Amino acid sequence: MLKTEELQINIGPQHPSTHGVFRMIVTVDGETVIDLKPVFGYLHRNHEQLAEVSTYIQSMPYTDRLDYFNSMANNFGLALAVEKLAGIEVPQRANYIRVLMCELTRILNHAAAVGFMINDMGAWQTPLVFAGREREKILDLFEMASGARMMCNYFRFGGVVRDLPPEFMPLLKQLMQGLPAFFDEFERLLRENEILRLRSEGVGILPKEVALSYSVTGPLLRGSGVPYDVRRAEPYSVYDELDFDIPVGSIGDVYDRFLVRIAEMRQSYRILQQVIERLPDTTGGHINPSMASIGRQKALRPPPGDVYARVETPKGELGFYLVSNGTARPYRYKVRAPSFVNLTPLGDMCRGHKVADVVVILGSIDIVMGEVDR
Amino acid sequence: MVEIVRYLLGGWLADWLIYLIAYIIVTTILLIVAPLTMMMQVWFERRAVARMQDRLGPNRVGPAGLLQSIADGVKMFTKEDIVPRAADRWVHLLAPVIAVAPVMFMLAVIPWGRGVVPATINVSVLFVVAVSSVSAVGLMMAGWGSNNKFALLGAMRAVAQMVSYEIPAVMALVGVVLLTGTMSMAVYPELQSGIPIMGDTLSKYGVPDLGLGWFIFTPVGFVGFILFYIAVLAEGERTPFDIPEADSEIVAGYMTEYSGMKFAVFYLGQFVLNYALSMIAAIAFLGGWQGPGVGLLVATGEPFLVFLGSALSVLYLMIKAWFLFFVMIWLRGAFPRLRVDQLMGFAWKFLLPMALVNIFSIAIWVSILNWGSAQGLWFLDDLELWMRQLIAFVVTALINGLAYYGLLQLNARPKGLTGADLAEEQAFGTIGLPQR
Amino acid sequence: MTAETPRTSNVFVVDRGEPKLRGGQGLLAGLGVVIRHFGKAFTKKIESPAESSGLFTVQYPEERLAMPEAYRNFPILLYDDQTGHELCTSCFQCERICPPQVIHMTQASDPTTGKPVPAVAEFIIEYDACMSCGLCAEVCPFDAIKMDHEFELSNADHSTMTVNKAGLDRPISYYESIAPTMWAEVRDGAMKKLQGNMKRRSGDIGIAPPMKGKVQTSAPAPAAAKPAAPAAPAKPVAAVGANMSDEKKARLEAIRAAKAAQAAQSGGATPEVAAPEASAKPVAAVGANMSDEKKARLEAIRAAKAAAKAAQEGGTAPEAPAPEAAAPAPEAPAKPMAAIGSNMSGEKKARLEAIRAAKAAAKAAQEGGAAPEAPAPEAAAPETAAPEAAAPAPEAPAKPVAAIGSNMSEEKRARLEAIRAAKAAAKREASNDES
Repeated sequence: MLKTEELQINIGPQHPSTHGVFRMIVTVDGETVIDLKPVFGYLHRNHEQLAEVSTYIQSMPYTDRLDYFNSMANNFGLALAVEKLAGIEVPQRANYIRVLMCELTRILNHAAAVGFMINDMGAWQTPLVFAGREREKILDLFEMASGARMMCNYFRFGGVVRDLPPEFMPLLKQLMQGLPAFFDEFERLLRENEILRLRSEGVGILPKEVALSYSVTGPLLRGSGVPYDVRRAEPYSVYDELDFDIPVGSIGDVYDRFLVRIAEMRQSYRILQQVIERLPDTTGGHINPSMASIGRQKALRPPPGDVYARVETPKGELGFYLVSNGTARPYRYKVRAPSFVNLTPLGDMCRGHKVADVVVILGSIDIVMGEVDR
Repeated sequence: MVEIVRYLLGGWLADWLIYLIAYIIVTTILLIVAPLTMMMQVWFERRAVARMQDRLGPNRVGPAGLLQSIADGVKMFTKEDIVPRAADRWVHLLAPVIAVAPVMFMLAVIPWGRGVVPATINVSVLFVVAVSSVSAVGLMMAGWGSNNKFALLGAMRAVAQMVSYEIPAVMALVGVVLLTGTMSMAVYPELQSGIPIMGDTLSKYGVPDLGLGWFIFTPVGFVGFILFYIAVLAEGERTPFDIPEADSEIVAGYMTEYSGMKFAVFYLGQFVLNYALSMIAAIAFLGGWQGPGVGLLVATGEPFLVFLGSALSVLYLMIKAWFLFFVMIWLRGAFPRLRVDQLMGFAWKFLLPMALVNIFSIAIWVSILNWGSAQGLWFLDDLELWMRQLIAFVVTALINGLAYYGLLQLNARPKGLTGADLAEEQAFGTIGLPQR
Repeated sequence: MTAETPRTSNVFVVDRGEPKLRGGQGLLAGLGVVIRHFGKAFTKKIESPAESSGLFTVQYPEERLAMPEAYRNFPILLYDDQTGHELCTSCFQCERICPPQVIHMTQASDPTTGKPVPAVAEFIIEYDACMSCGLCAEVCPFDAIKMDHEFELSNADHSTMTVNKAGLDRPISYYESIAPTMWAEVRDGAMKKLQGNMKRRSGDIGIAPPMKGKVQTSAPAPAAAKPAAPAAPAKPVAAVGANMSDEKKARLEAIRAAKAAQAAQSGGATPEVAAPEASAKPVAAVGANMSDEKKARLEAIRAAKAAAKAAQEGGTAPEAPAPEAAAPAPEAPAKPMAAIGSNMSGEKKARLEAIRAAKAAAKAAQEGGAAPEAPAPEAAAPETAAPEAAAPAPEAPAKPVAAIGSNMSEEKRARLEAIRAAKAAAKREASNDES
């Protein structure tokens, strides 16, 4: 009987495929993974404690940098939490603008996530570049509205910082024309590709019960077959007025998550169509008039109490738990980051697979280290 | 080349000296052509892949970025050569040499054009196959000598891949040997003249020699070409078989600990190997330097036109080889890579059986063409050659098609697998082709 | 996990696409997609977001994309093109809101008095730590700090990343050229505030370094203003433009009334004492933390006091009238204090003070000129003048009431009152002098 030794490899913090500074200590026997221990914290930037010494509005630019891929969605979470805490109403138009931005974020995140996953599988950037091209177009729209491509700082408590400029809508409509062709092409390039299917079918299966017990959320959960989406479970903003479906997977492997993301992109497109149709008829302006000036934003003193507000970001459920003691600075500010929670079943998912699959599984969870480490 | 030197210097020098000078000149030309080709290839690859991705490639250094490779070369030259302290120094040093030298050997026996063969040996196919195995030893030395777990892992995978894919490659070439009856590659293009499928057989009826009687137009040649080309992809470590090269988890595989010029040598070897293998594929299956016009020009007999015919033949081989290289780039732009166990499964469970069936088909082809009542096939006696060819075409097409279909069914995953089955198959299990 | 009442919300299982025998068809489809992109990349360039194949590269730096107006990179400070004055008043709002705390500034102060003026002495932003959030530009009440579009700021020398005021200053025309709509929205308010701030800056404080020496320094020093005092009403009248708030204008008129009274009666005798006093007192008293009506009230009181003093000095020194003059004087403040409620608008109050000041001056003059007969007619004259003044005074309201139709603006009305009060006071003094 041959005795083989177990080797401990460090897929280290500096690595082209670890989606940020992330370390995995992998114990392998030949090619097969016996155990995997994730080590993170390399990107800890003290976000929660910084929020305790800043006013609520001063934390808003910092939330951009949590999940730096989807800054609009992070802003949405904080805005929702503070509005709940202070009882600020958001006018209809502001809500529709918020949903517009969030769904655009979802499209760009899922496109890039799929692109990165395929890139990890070894396709030399072609699907990633195609996804990146669509992402560029959406980022141009964000720059027009908020002033920056990624660190948008667009949401304020009670609405958004400024209304959409007049050149936004025509460009958005043009983009909408081009998106279905992009979705179809993306699917055609990847969906029937035998090599892709070989690499992803049956890899990294996360069974339904295990997923629920780890409290994962987002496409990871829906890929495992649980139809849970915060936009339907606890509707916020105007999601209860919009039509969209929830795609779920059947098996819970990497291929299912990949298909779920593509299906979600199409559903986001559907939501965008409805929002664009309804936006001209909305009322209320882009921000609650009582909170329109930045002076009111920074002098906001919510009544003492606590609140937990959550949004469905493209990565999963992002939650903000705020405790206010009546002053302008929160007493406790806690972020429930979806990538952090989604990362915990990584060891279980990788056990028994080959080393090459580890990176693919990590890519299919779609994490951003800014969120994991805050 | 020997004749040219003898013509120029024949009077005063001894014979052996003439041969020596001739071969030195030839070698020098080859060793200059190889890196130049490699630079062109790198430029071509970067620009072509970029266009596939809706972007331009490098276009700043020189017109259309042509000097980019030179800039990269200068960069590699000027980099510090780092050898890990615990590395086995001599092994580390010799590995690139052993990995790359066989590739240069291969270039010597390829017929670059009509009458342009650096070294004519009558077992050149055997020679090519033999030396290509030596570079696997170089890879293993690189992995071992680096004293790096990742490099060792990468080297082991690379060697496994190269060794596994040599078998289908050799089997495909064996088919061509059967078909042509000779192991000398220089002869293959000459046997592929004429018209598609029929080759030369109709020339006695006055059909002109179009130089298109390539083996690829026959079912056996077609299957052989596909098998050989896939094997070439794996030998040259191109996507989708580039596990050893730029793995996302093993950084750079066996090349991890190499910097500067040694890394450049590996890189050079890889590209030149790909080019050489493309050329061999073109020679064996696509007619090599054969093409419309070469035969006609040569048949005239006039020295200038013959020379023109030779130049045209060199051009044809270049076009074919570059086209095959473009297909390699195309595949690289489109596909992710296979995992190493899937790669091995593909080679041993699909390519090898297919190659064996192909050899069997070729045997049938040859026998239909040549046998008669002496071997008991009385019904073939009175048939014309072109008739025999047609019958052989149909029969071998059937055999190959059935074999392909049968192998797909054998390797496919059964229907109705649940998640648990899939998981068991992927994790700790073996894997076949995608589900039917 | 149940939703409220969604419109349509189906859950569907994604199709894994199983049935066909796979022999490489998917691979060929992928190849087809890629080669189509390859071909398109040679023939066309992506011009609009609707296209999804073609060359997407923008060859920077030869081709550049236009930045949208709202684009924010790093902050800059604005200064007015014509006057050279910076809009920044060093109010510290941006420094307080900046999340990474990269803004630092010091307030400028008047070199003679040492008091702070609404201008900034030094302003530093650490560009390398700035996170381009734009909160400073949002919070600035004077629209002085704005977000620039310049992003090609790479430098080999790290010290250039800490930028001081000279490096941050840009003319308003520059910002207008990069963000015209955004500037147009705030221009009026910003210029109005700038005018107000310019008043309070002496010498060349608050002038941007590029413009120093090129523009005339505004607001000459108080000592030099005295000889121009009679002409002073002319200059300020020119300055009271449409962009000055109403209560400010009324207040200004009250101050001018007091000054004019001073200048007219002293005519140069003790202007150096009185005028600087008069001008110094308002400057000292009108602090930034004093409410409008309080200021107006203060001016009125001072006007009354000055008039009373003038009457005292001008007239023979009857003691009785003095306390009497003094009496009505404290009485005068008493009356306004009682009368001015908090629901009275600022300019209305100021107007009231002006009227009362005129009345008190008239009364004091009356008291002062009670004894002599000759003054009696003068007293009578003042009395008549007083009734005249009173008559014009009630008439003054009458006249203005008559003349001031609903189409006469508030400031004009207040100005008119003040001028009349001044005239009345001057007339009274003149008549006192004569007697």
